[in-house]
Amino acid sequence: MSNKKRLGATLTAVTALSLVLGACGSSGSNNNAASSASGSSSSEKPVNLIWYTIGTPQKDVDKVMAEVSKYTKEKINATVTMKMIDWGDYQQKMQVLVASGEPMDIMFTSAGGFDYVQNARKGAFLQIDDLLDKYGQGIKDTIDPAFLSGTKVDGHNYGIPANKELPQLEVWRFNKNVVDKYNLDISNVRSLESIEPLLKKVKENEPTFTPFVMTKDYVPYVPYDYLITNLPMAVKLDSPDHKVVDILETDEMKQALETMHKYYTAGYVAPEAATTGSTTDLESTGKWLLDRAQTQPLADNVWSASFGFPVVSTPASDPIITNTSVQGSIMAISANSEHPEKAMQFLNLLNTDPVLRNMVDSGIEGVHYEKTGDNRMKNLPESKNYDMPSYSLGNNMLLYLNENDPDDKWEQFKKFNASGVPSPILGFNFDTTKVATELTAVQNVKEQFWSSLMTGTVDPATYLPKAIQQFKNAGLDKIIAEAQTQLDAWVAANQQK
Amino acid sequence: MGGTFFRNLNRNKAMLLMVLPGALWFLCFSYLPLVGTIAAFKQYRFSRQGFLYSLVHSKNVGWDNFKFLFSTDAAWTITRNTLFYNIAFIFLGLVCSVAMAILLSELVNKKMAKLYQTGMFLPYFLSWVIVGYFAFSFLSLDRGLLNHILGSFGGKSLQWYSDPTYWPYILVLVYLWKSVGYSSVVYLASIMGIDRSLYEAAMIDGASKWQQIRSITLPLLKPIIIIMTLLAVGKIFYADFGLFYEVPRDSGTLYSVTNVIDTYVYRGLKTTGEIGMSTAAGLYQSVVGFALVMISNFVVRKMDKDSALF
Repeated sequence: MSNKKRLGATLTAVTALSLVLGACGSSGSNNNAASSASGSSSSEKPVNLIWYTIGTPQKDVDKVMAEVSKYTKEKINATVTMKMIDWGDYQQKMQVLVASGEPMDIMFTSAGGFDYVQNARKGAFLQIDDLLDKYGQGIKDTIDPAFLSGTKVDGHNYGIPANKELPQLEVWRFNKNVVDKYNLDISNVRSLESIEPLLKKVKENEPTFTPFVMTKDYVPYVPYDYLITNLPMAVKLDSPDHKVVDILETDEMKQALETMHKYYTAGYVAPEAATTGSTTDLESTGKWLLDRAQTQPLADNVWSASFGFPVVSTPASDPIITNTSVQGSIMAISANSEHPEKAMQFLNLLNTDPVLRNMVDSGIEGVHYEKTGDNRMKNLPESKNYDMPSYSLGNNMLLYLNENDPDDKWEQFKKFNASGVPSPILGFNFDTTKVATELTAVQNVKEQFWSSLMTGTVDPATYLPKAIQQFKNAGLDKIIAEAQTQLDAWVAANQQK
Repeated sequence: MGGTFFRNLNRNKAMLLMVLPGALWFLCFSYLPLVGTIAAFKQYRFSRQGFLYSLVHSKNVGWDNFKFLFSTDAAWTITRNTLFYNIAFIFLGLVCSVAMAILLSELVNKKMAKLYQTGMFLPYFLSWVIVGYFAFSFLSLDRGLLNHILGSFGGKSLQWYSDPTYWPYILVLVYLWKSVGYSSVVYLASIMGIDRSLYEAAMIDGASKWQQIRSITLPLLKPIIIIMTLLAVGKIFYADFGLFYEVPRDSGTLYSVTNVIDTYVYRGLKTTGEIGMSTAAGLYQSVVGFALVMISNFVVRKMDKDSALF
């Protein structure tokens, strides 16, 4: 009896203390909490939406959001507070903020930053199927339907993907100065094998150059879609049988690895490619011939501008719509949002209303940018205080064109999107809960072998069998079996529809 | 009873006030978070009601979260690496810092002694990322200093980052370079506290420098050496993440000698982000560390009661 009492007292003390501490920790956001709480108390008062997004915090965010709020108050009776978290911190800080129940309504998520599927399953986001039907008609009408179907997790939508480039298209990216100097023919280039004569020519004539530039994340292109990025479980693209295989055991990958090793031994690849994190420095010197990249319409212009010398590219794959490509930028409503309806209305407006969308993207007209035509704009010097990443802030195709953009920019995007071929597993998201133990082991084996195999640093004749065996020991077969079971169930469910 | 308590409180209030910040710090950052160790037995899922509610209401999974640490071939490698590197660090670190402290204390030119001390202290403040680049400037395949030296003697360039042979030595060397300056300060401070008259008496009796060190300095350093070692033993299952991740540039071919518990957990969980599993790893490390401290303290107490920590 007395023991119980004491335990109770201790628990109360601990809870009280943690409450006090919690209050200290979040004092910065008290204002918002207070204002949003008062917003919900009466329907007349506008609701304040708290929006977390990725990117280097900008000086004028509050100023612009004040302007945005004026507009949204009129349209949907809501105001907006935006909180930016820097690129490198986003994943970790959001984990903590969401886990601790920090008040928020809208947040950015993607396949890369603050993982969409994982966090949807962990309960971080609100399931929005009904909200989307009720308040998101505009979204459904504007954005490519493949985006909404591709971002379903276990059959439900948890976020609004940004309308932008849809398929994923790998290209060989060439340093045009070098191509012109040696009169190289890039018109017939496509496969990994086809670039060999070009690499050879450059290596012979420019011994100090790195003909083939890559980081440790490089993976030769093979026509498979990975269940989890860069883990060996994959499904062949143009095959109807939905069979999950170990990518390292496929003939395509074996051949690619042999070719890579040949290139590495010939000196076409930098000797330390397997531990190289960034190639920006090397590429800005211009002492290179080619690398591989993912493209989108007009990418060549963007690359040329950022390098400071001309860059051309030719396809290295078909344009494929994959989970990763549709989950590149998503805005989700937080599971603890107090105003999910308003949040949905705001997302609908953001994705359909050019005035709001451009204000969020470029700031205040006359301060950060000025309009030079019907749908054209020019950045003003003040724009350095409000320089936002466009891809993470909703429908891209509403954006005004920049001075150098061609008139048909968004037409080109639509055409590019229409050319995309859906991957056979588009919309299937592997639930790894049952194989979490095996996955950590496989993850470690992957880190051990992946980069040195993929960059050609080691000889696949000896290392590939070793890697395959280690993956098996770590439990890859169990993961593949589990994935196959889930995939079969998913295929069956989808065929019924 | 109560009266004595408050009288004591009043009498020692200055002392207690001094303890207060540290006690609060431990309460907030060491004792309160202990509640979170429940997460090691949960499949943590978010809920609308905040962290504590989610923690209590997540699904119980028993010991499942611990399995990933023991279930594979890697388990042996990471445990062996963590343990042996730490034993080497504790032992060599001790020998080098005590030797360094004695050398510094014996220097006649005190200005130079301060200079050396500061110079050796400096690496301690560098982040491992920077130390990793220092090492890279020595070990890079085509531009590294060591390969240049090897080349000028007609030797063949070595693929440092893909050959595990030398890494145990490199890691120990880098660790010592970074940490000895700092830990020698502790020993230097207690050498400075030794009564000089002991040395004077020894010199009058004709003791050599070596005899003085062996019979005066080392015996008087023994308590602090034991305390420092006991504290280090408690951390024996924690590896220095930066050292084992940044310095070998996360090179996969070196994992057989560079993968330790901390890097294994990081690599395994960075994509899935299961809070439960990382908590389990942390709990395992602290429990083993705690047990080891208790055992070694027990052994010390058996041998020499005054030197034990508690």
